[in-house]
Amino acid sequence: MNGYAEKILTLDLTERKVGAIPTSEYQHWMGGHGMGSAIFFDLVKDKTIDGFNPANVVTMMTSPLSATLVPAASGRTEVQGIGVQSYPIGWFTRSNLGGRFSGMLKFAGWDGIVIQGKADKPVWIDIRNGNVRIRDCAPLSLWGKETWDCQETIWEYVLSGGKYGDWNSPTGKEGGKTTQRPAVVTIGPAGENQSRLACLIHDASNAAGQGGFGAVFGSKNLKAISVIGTGQVGINNPKMLIATRLWQKENYAFDLAHLRETWGSFQFQSPPAPIIEWAKGRPNIGQRPQACLGCHSGCRARYKDASGNEASCISSAFYGDALSLDIQRSASDLINRYGLNAVEMTLGLVYIRILQMTRRLKTAKIPDCPLDFSKYGSKEFVEQFVKMLAYGNDGKGDESQFGRDISGGFVRAAEKWGRRKQDLDSGILAFPYWGIPIHKEPRAQVYWGYGTLLGDRDINEHDFDWIKWEASNAKSSGREPSLTAKEVVKIVTDKMVPFQGDLDMLDFSENNIYSEHMAKMVSWQRYYTRFWKQSMLFCDSRWPDFVNIHRPDKIGSTGIAEPKYVKAVTGMDFSFRDGVDLGRKIWNLDHAIWTLQGRHRDMVHFVDNVYEKIPLFPVDVRNAYMPGKENGKWDYYGYSRRKLDKNKFDEFKTRFYRLQGWDTSSGYPKRSTLESLGLDYVADELEENNKLGKE
Amino acid sequence: MSDQDEKTINNEDSGISRRRFLKLSKDMIAGIGAGGVLTSLVWVKKGIATIPVSEGYLLVDFKKCQGCVSCMLACSLVHEGVESLSLSRIQIMQNSFDSFPDDLTIEQCRQCVDPPCVKECPTDALEANAKYGNVRMVDKEKCIGCGTCYEVCPYTPSRAVLAADKDYDGELKSLKCDLCANTPFHWDEAGGGPDGKQACVEVCPVGAIKFTKEIPQQKGDDGYKVDLRGRNWGRLGYPNSEKE
Repeated sequence: MNGYAEKILTLDLTERKVGAIPTSEYQHWMGGHGMGSAIFFDLVKDKTIDGFNPANVVTMMTSPLSATLVPAASGRTEVQGIGVQSYPIGWFTRSNLGGRFSGMLKFAGWDGIVIQGKADKPVWIDIRNGNVRIRDCAPLSLWGKETWDCQETIWEYVLSGGKYGDWNSPTGKEGGKTTQRPAVVTIGPAGENQSRLACLIHDASNAAGQGGFGAVFGSKNLKAISVIGTGQVGINNPKMLIATRLWQKENYAFDLAHLRETWGSFQFQSPPAPIIEWAKGRPNIGQRPQACLGCHSGCRARYKDASGNEASCISSAFYGDALSLDIQRSASDLINRYGLNAVEMTLGLVYIRILQMTRRLKTAKIPDCPLDFSKYGSKEFVEQFVKMLAYGNDGKGDESQFGRDISGGFVRAAEKWGRRKQDLDSGILAFPYWGIPIHKEPRAQVYWGYGTLLGDRDINEHDFDWIKWEASNAKSSGREPSLTAKEVVKIVTDKMVPFQGDLDMLDFSENNIYSEHMAKMVSWQRYYTRFWKQSMLFCDSRWPDFVNIHRPDKIGSTGIAEPKYVKAVTGMDFSFRDGVDLGRKIWNLDHAIWTLQGRHRDMVHFVDNVYEKIPLFPVDVRNAYMPGKENGKWDYYGYSRRKLDKNKFDEFKTRFYRLQGWDTSSGYPKRSTLESLGLDYVADELEENNKLGKE
Repeated sequence: MSDQDEKTINNEDSGISRRRFLKLSKDMIAGIGAGGVLTSLVWVKKGIATIPVSEGYLLVDFKKCQGCVSCMLACSLVHEGVESLSLSRIQIMQNSFDSFPDDLTIEQCRQCVDPPCVKECPTDALEANAKYGNVRMVDKEKCIGCGTCYEVCPYTPSRAVLAADKDYDGELKSLKCDLCANTPFHWDEAGGGPDGKQACVEVCPVGAIKFTKEIPQQKGDDGYKVDLRGRNWGRLGYPNSEKE
């Protein structure tokens, strides 16, 4: 079928065997996450294994829209497997990276990669169209290299004597020509040393950051995967594809001639301005926007001095206390080059700094910290800190128990130091769920916290986040929000099929955040993202297009645009609702895997801090203004300064589980629900493991 | 004649000026179009070849480009009906780790006034197509895939590339920019070419590619690599002129 390469690459590292699965075997999952979960379920017989176990399977999947002109949907790769970051269990989890890897994989003729086993020594994968080699790292001295050095070394190797800037034939004389560099995903020293903060890096700053997949690669002795493709992806209706792209550009995207905003945001309509969080702002030097493959609006930049190239969002938030902008930009480069999870690095450094400032760093159970805090803010300090995390030592090449502890993750380090509960409860260790750092304030944006807890990781899904930003920015600057709360709620909930029309899904008032309406809201986001964002790989930075200020009616294109693109590329009549329904099936499959791993409803709770304390320092805005209905009146209200009620959250879980068709006493899936979704075989495996819910 | 017309238009070996070109043309003329402007004059080189100038050109701003390569995806889409970076007539090459502006370059066909690919093609498959404003196009029926156009193109990477063509049982055929004149998958009923719409120009999200009927300065890159930024580009925090 058009849009697909028709085969999925399999790599058995233990046996050093390269093979293929026909994509058709999993095509009913459409692509990305759905395919990844299904393949993982089939290949990993014992779901209780640890992420470091060689039997762990990692999938890297594309979608039928990868490598096409669909805006902000062409360049992302979905990564899945058992992670090693979350606590107390490394859940089956996902991450996702942008750039051009997925596109190049499709041009090489592959819909995805399935990685099994463990190599006997460090290897890298060299994919040139259908020619795939598992190569030793030793001849190129790749093991030990930073991520950028590793990629440049592979680029030169694959070039095979040509030169970049010209046509080359890396796939052989019969294989076609390309001017492009191979797309390489690699780990840095952090992954090699199996730090639980280790991530996968591609180009300068595309990262699959969550889950610790860098450490999983490292445990498999897998340094990098390089792919160069000179082939093509078939399109069912090319005219429709380009016409739809131009229709969206004309009607829904930014217009350079008539700019309505000059800053980057997580919106389809955002202009191509970098979404950076450097404390001292954006450098005033020459720069360009930089976009992933096929994206209509880049969200990062490259700079005249190449420092901070492509850093954006959280990778630019790290080391906010740097003494200068240049130091903070170089810190962004450091975490990319050593291959470290920017979110945990950021919140982890805050934790260590608070321990030091409150004189708790020198308590008996904490090993000697090799950091010199008199240099806090300097480049020297952050370089040592980054190396401590990457190498598990003192950051200068010598042994350090402290370095070893924190490279295993900050919650696990606190556990070793006998401080986990007290520091989570006090809030200085701001990791409120599954040992994962806080992102959005779960007391205000409850759907973010609920989704994270009911899932496996910080959801990092900004679908509804613009509503808060727009209202909070308006309130803080004394202007009126561009739409009233009721207008926003109407536009957004109208698109939330099959729950459309229930305005109360976006009522964040105290009376509603544990309700059936909120259960539907959280469910919709779980289904929508599982399919449209994580399986079809529409980018989180640009989709959905809910509210669009360029339209006279302010109604965005989501719900209309996505099926048009699927139709144009594949020829399938596949509605937006079809996608949400398939997302529900994928969500159920994931939940079944977590259940097999040991998930029970009793485990599903925030740390006590969320129930007992009002946040002193809300994470991204001083007060999150959200739509709410107070005394029957819709408006934007500030909801950051509240606590969640533990008992009421428990009641919410019951409502949520009932809505899913799961056993409300355990949270286990029911056979009837799974069979209604065509997941009979999943029910069978749950039953064999005594994990099937009661009807 | 305007100052613009005074710009050198020929390539390095002749260094001929536009005024001189017009004067010469009177002597070696083979025809003048109804418009009576330069784009419809006939160029005669060394009194042997007669290659009319193209009525359209692509200009690019590589400092404005965001590297999304949507232009490349659009190019193969409208021409071949598939997505392929290797089949794209416009090529963007970038290095994620390099410093702006050397991190990226856009290389498009220049529709040369004095095109070696047309002059040297042994089967006359590469021609200035009068139906489409003299754009330099490949006639696939005549193309034998010999690669001469690829070899003689004076620019790197070559603006013509050979690729297996499924419509010809996988035979090698030359691909080069035709300003979307021959695009079976063009979205617009009026189609492309110098009087139509070019996919790369229309798709580029940031306006880093521009179509013009004016002959760019032929010597060096300055005629083709231009500043398409402007005040609003500066408002987004990017350099909006060469001086910045």
